[in-house]
Amino acid sequence: MAKTTGLPLAEARRRSAPRGALNQVNALIYLVLIVVGIISVIPFIWMLLTSIKDYGDVMSLRFWPWPPLGNSTPRFDNFAEAIRLIGVDRDTGLPMFFRHVLNTLLVTGIVVASSVATSVLAAYAFAQLQFPAKDVLFILVLATFMIPEELVLVPRAVMMNKNYLNWYNTIPAMVAPFLADAFGIFLIRQFFLQVPRELYDAARIDGAGHLRYLAMIMVPLAKPAIVTLALLEFIWTWNEFRWIQLVTASSNMRTVSVGLVGFLQTDGGSQTQLAMAVAVMVVLPIIILYLFTQRYFTEGITTTGLKG
Amino acid sequence: MIRKVLPVVATLAVFAAACATPAPQQAPAPTEAPAPTTAPAQPTEAPAPTEAAPAQPTEAPAPTEAPAATGVDAITLSKDKPTEILFWHRYSGDAQKFVESFVEKFNAENEFGIKVTVEKIDGSYADLYSKINAAIEGGTPPNIAQAYQNQASFYRLDGNVIDLSPYIRSAKYGLTQAEIDDYFPFFLESDKNPQFPGEVLGWPTSRSAAVLYVNLDWLKELGANEPPKTLREFEELACKASDPANERYGLAWQNDISNFAALVFANGGRVLSEDAQSYVFNSEAGVESLALLRRLFENKCAVEIPSAERFGEQNRFAAQKVLFVMASSTGLPFYADAVAKSEKPFRWTYVMFPQKDPNKPVVDIYGASWSVFKGTPEQQLASWLFLKAFTEPENIAQWAVASGYMAVRKSAAPTAIEAVKNNPRYANFPEAAEAYARLYEMVAFGAVEAPVAGYDPVRKLMSEVVSKVAIKGEGDIKAALDEAVAQANEVLKENAPKGY
Repeated sequence: MAKTTGLPLAEARRRSAPRGALNQVNALIYLVLIVVGIISVIPFIWMLLTSIKDYGDVMSLRFWPWPPLGNSTPRFDNFAEAIRLIGVDRDTGLPMFFRHVLNTLLVTGIVVASSVATSVLAAYAFAQLQFPAKDVLFILVLATFMIPEELVLVPRAVMMNKNYLNWYNTIPAMVAPFLADAFGIFLIRQFFLQVPRELYDAARIDGAGHLRYLAMIMVPLAKPAIVTLALLEFIWTWNEFRWIQLVTASSNMRTVSVGLVGFLQTDGGSQTQLAMAVAVMVVLPIIILYLFTQRYFTEGITTTGLKG
Repeated sequence: MIRKVLPVVATLAVFAAACATPAPQQAPAPTEAPAPTTAPAQPTEAPAPTEAAPAQPTEAPAPTEAPAATGVDAITLSKDKPTEILFWHRYSGDAQKFVESFVEKFNAENEFGIKVTVEKIDGSYADLYSKINAAIEGGTPPNIAQAYQNQASFYRLDGNVIDLSPYIRSAKYGLTQAEIDDYFPFFLESDKNPQFPGEVLGWPTSRSAAVLYVNLDWLKELGANEPPKTLREFEELACKASDPANERYGLAWQNDISNFAALVFANGGRVLSEDAQSYVFNSEAGVESLALLRRLFENKCAVEIPSAERFGEQNRFAAQKVLFVMASSTGLPFYADAVAKSEKPFRWTYVMFPQKDPNKPVVDIYGASWSVFKGTPEQQLASWLFLKAFTEPENIAQWAVASGYMAVRKSAAPTAIEAVKNNPRYANFPEAAEAYARLYEMVAFGAVEAPVAGYDPVRKLMSEVVSKVAIKGEGDIKAALDEAVAQANEVLKENAPKGY
């Protein structure tokens, strides 16, 4: 009897309890995300505030030296001072910082365009086409993930040398290793796999070949994934330090990240506020780009399995 | 609402992590990277530019013999057939400007038709080391590059760095005995490695010492009239000054192994045995050094400055949050600027690191030298002639002023000292200006850490021991040091020249 009367109650509890528990779990997840979000932003806030502080305020360890807590005024001259200290490119007469920015834009543009193009084409082949040893080839592509960057860094740099490709201190050397990206191939392939095969069949009936189907149907569908990849490639290339440092010789061939590290690495001491001013200028383009592509970025990571 | 906002926060967090600005590669040695070597040197002749040295120094043997004819003399350089050489360095600021202007002047005026191309390598000493190794692998190393003594030894293992002694001895291109005698013997000795007997693997241009920066006004408040001379006084004052509740500490400690090595030297020990056969930092001096550090941290008399907070010790010193800082003497102008701009400027200076026995002081002196890489005979000679010109007394004096390093020649020291004394930057800090003069007295008691290949990974091992045993207070000091030395000796063996 107890069983018969107890069952509906237990059923009711089972139905309502998970909803409550789910809300609690969600609330906890949100709380953790908020905390992580705030922690992630703190260094940026510190960097931003330090970049407009007076040297004395930095030395006095004052977090907010301006009114109402202090009497200082924001020092925006730090940006001009930092650019002046980085020096001038003798070839062009440009401030070296702007030369670094131009180099970075060029390198980043080439890498983003190339890696997106090669990723889309290769991903389509792996997702849509049938050819011998497809799976083995895909595993080989994925296997490149497993090789630590440090292991291939020096051999790659040696290849750029005058005894081999003779690309040392040139744009081709700076971009060569990044023109195709296994991660990009994997990312886009994951998205392409979700597209129903029937779409392709319908396109074929309408007379579309592979290239047309890719360009007219798959690429527009995969826009969030492609934008995500482009943004990630942009960030990685913009921030690339070690490779550029290895394969360039003259200062006017370097990028902003290498220039920034050079500015930070001083003997004896440093002017933190100027270093942070350079850091802000280096990071700013990424932040702006992210603000414009945020929607695609969020969609991209939630539709390609990247969310885990 | 929260559902709309939270995904943005979450992606912002992912994005923030992804687009973080590139950190300086590899934990750099905060002020100076790996340090030189050889044994706690015998006292050498100091210029005694200001006051008498703490103890009577004796003249060290000249590093090379009197000039004699060698094969180098047969090489001819001519303006008709210019010799091009490439120089890599990582100096910044005034030091970089000086190097670049010197190269320009040298290229225009040298009588040998030498054309030097100078390239600044952005990054740490470790980055420069990686770049040189990659260039060596590719067969295109520079002709001259900055290198710590242990790095030069590594390059030498495969014959990539040349021995400079034939050039020094050359009757035609070398140095006279009087010129050799003008160099501080300790600096010349520090570029030698017992594993390569008689060879000179680099030319000293930049040297500084591990010193103790002291807030003199605070010291006076504590009832001390002068900086500590012994390690016991140092510990007492550091603990007396500490007030953890107000985030004030006796010592700011950067876990830079040159600081630990300086402590080992101050305790009468050494890092590497004199014959370079084994590491010996697990001696009684090593144990006492770690024990002192452990007590300082356990009693909250010291605060660790994280390696990510580069030069954070200077900020805290200027903000009067720390009484003492162990650091390189090259920080002098930066400390002057920091204190001058601080809320309440105060009197300060730097002094020789406190010693276990002040009558037998030993000071850690370090700095990267300029090494010459294998090239054509003409390029090697041209490289030597460039080094020789750079270290001419008037040039090296200007270099010392621009870079903050010590002048490596005795005749140049007074000029550098005078320039610091007359520098308006130190007008309100006379004690600090005098400290630079006293720095030259410390040369007589200089010691180098380990000039052998493989010292970089050993520094990492030592750093881990200091962090675990002294800062975190975990484990047995002697056991940890013994284990580190055993591993270090393996590294030493792996990187030793064949047959050594």
